[in-house]
Amino acid sequence: MSLPLRALRRCFEGAIPATIATCAPDGMPNVAKLSHVHFVDDGHVALSYQFFNKTRANILANPHALVEVVDPVSAAHYQLRLAYLRTETEGPLFETMKARLAAIASHTGMSKVFRLLGSDVYRVLDVGLVPGDHDQPGPPRTDLVAALRACQADLAPCSDLAGLLDAALASLERHLDIRHAMLLLLDPGRRCLYTVASRGYPESGVGSEVGLGEGIVGVAAAARTPIRIGHAVEEYRYSQATRRRFADSDARIVLETEIPLPGLAEAASQLALPLAVAGRLIGVLYVESPSEQRFGYEDEDAMAVLAGQLALQLDWLARGAEPAQDSAPMPAPRPAAPVPPGATVTIRHFAADHSVFVDNDYLIKGVAGAIVWKLLREYRDAGRDEFSNRELRLDGSLGLPGVTDNLDARLILLQRRLAERCPFLTMTKTGRGRFRLAVGRPFLLVEDPAP
Amino acid sequence: MPSKKTAAPLLDARQAAFLGGPLSIGLASHGADGRPSLSRAYGCRVSADRREVVIYVSRRRAAELLRDVAAGAPVAAVFSRPATHETLQLKAARARVRAVAAADAAAMAASGAAFAAELTALGYPEAFLSAMLAPLRDEAMAVAFCPEGAFEQTPGPAAGRRLEPGA
Repeated sequence: MSLPLRALRRCFEGAIPATIATCAPDGMPNVAKLSHVHFVDDGHVALSYQFFNKTRANILANPHALVEVVDPVSAAHYQLRLAYLRTETEGPLFETMKARLAAIASHTGMSKVFRLLGSDVYRVLDVGLVPGDHDQPGPPRTDLVAALRACQADLAPCSDLAGLLDAALASLERHLDIRHAMLLLLDPGRRCLYTVASRGYPESGVGSEVGLGEGIVGVAAAARTPIRIGHAVEEYRYSQATRRRFADSDARIVLETEIPLPGLAEAASQLALPLAVAGRLIGVLYVESPSEQRFGYEDEDAMAVLAGQLALQLDWLARGAEPAQDSAPMPAPRPAAPVPPGATVTIRHFAADHSVFVDNDYLIKGVAGAIVWKLLREYRDAGRDEFSNRELRLDGSLGLPGVTDNLDARLILLQRRLAERCPFLTMTKTGRGRFRLAVGRPFLLVEDPAP
Repeated sequence: MPSKKTAAPLLDARQAAFLGGPLSIGLASHGADGRPSLSRAYGCRVSADRREVVIYVSRRRAAELLRDVAAGAPVAAVFSRPATHETLQLKAARARVRAVAAADAAAMAASGAAFAAELTALGYPEAFLSAMLAPLRDEAMAVAFCPEGAFEQTPGPAAGRRLEPGA
């Protein structure tokens, strides 16, 4: 191969249509325009199969194809000699191409026309530069490697989860100028992702959820592949995913139990990267921008490396980096505290989904809802205000999903949600694996049993 | 088969006008090994009787394609308008390679100007346009053929439909 395929990835952004030539068994050539040539790796590309057309009939009979792509900056033309290998109709490659095709279709006013039936995978036999007067392709960007190193230096010293989450989002802004980002972690039991940290939005959206397969974040998680879109696409927008969730939600639950996702209403560029360790999905890093084509292949490379480190570090911290003082005796229950001043707040718990409402305002549900309910009952009944992570882990009624329970993440989520929505309840860390609950108003607990 | 003189030409007036517009053009053929050859083309011209289409390619960029066409291989050409995605493919069992004449130079200049105006309207920068059109200078060759098949290729359910003369 005369040129490494990765050197011309800019040609595969879909900015300029490519051209494909194939040959029928009778020798008659066929030539067609292609909206999208997908870079798979240095030895493979994939083409979108949208209609059963002459190109497809030809390559099934004679696998040789010639594709010409154009660099959208230098106007250099490259010819790729290809041999058809196979068609994929599901999985990471298919989902990535589906999302990118939707972006191109939306950008070119073809949303109702383009529909991906399959990803045709081709081996690249040769890459040639067509002679011409174009500019030489510039050297690959090196600023991203330096930025990546700076991000890594920010993350490396983090020894607690809350610090790591904040450092990750801050370093994206500081070193990569990415100003809108969020981190979501997987709740495997409920097959959804919950927002545990965000940056760049008026409302943090901490505690908001998105189902696996929903929107760009859910698709990246379900298919375990980065999804990058450079043009606004309605069906991959957060607002859309949110609307659908509202529409599908059970009407019998009259009270609102959704926290809005914090995404930009007018995101033009989106990149979602799965966070996985040893093949196990733990969450998604999502970044976005109001500018079109903000994230290129090289940005995706850099972010994928960062996501790899972040996943390892998140997983390491979640696996009980904080067991330390679990064996130390708990302090004796406090003497009955004076009732704080202020009007009494009614806190209601629905056992069916552990949703918790404070004076009819939705606070949280799921594991975090079960935790805050337990803390408040212990506070009221046993006069306790000091708690350990260990006792929460051992409490079967909370529904924590086993070894890698992400308890720390749920406590961070709860702590931040309380700070935003319920400032008279505060959780303060008092040591490794320990925290204190402070209550600033009198409260009444009301239990709604499961139907 | 009716004689060429009496049958209606394959291309109707609307298609002939389309071929004179701002188009991205690709011309393909194949080698003795059955593998395709391909080149971007820089304009085209339709004869007054709409029976012959001439396409202009760069001698340097289309060397392999020109060799295949000269050896008698069939050709296929795709014409696509960037702003609308309206696309037409023409095919012929053989084509003729010849030098460009004065009338060809005028057609090339008109095609190039229309294409450049279209891309400018779509927001492409000047430097990109000049690089796209540069291969025309001093080394153009003409590929002439009488289309025997025409196919609708505008993206959509009708893509691939064979167009009949006078239909």
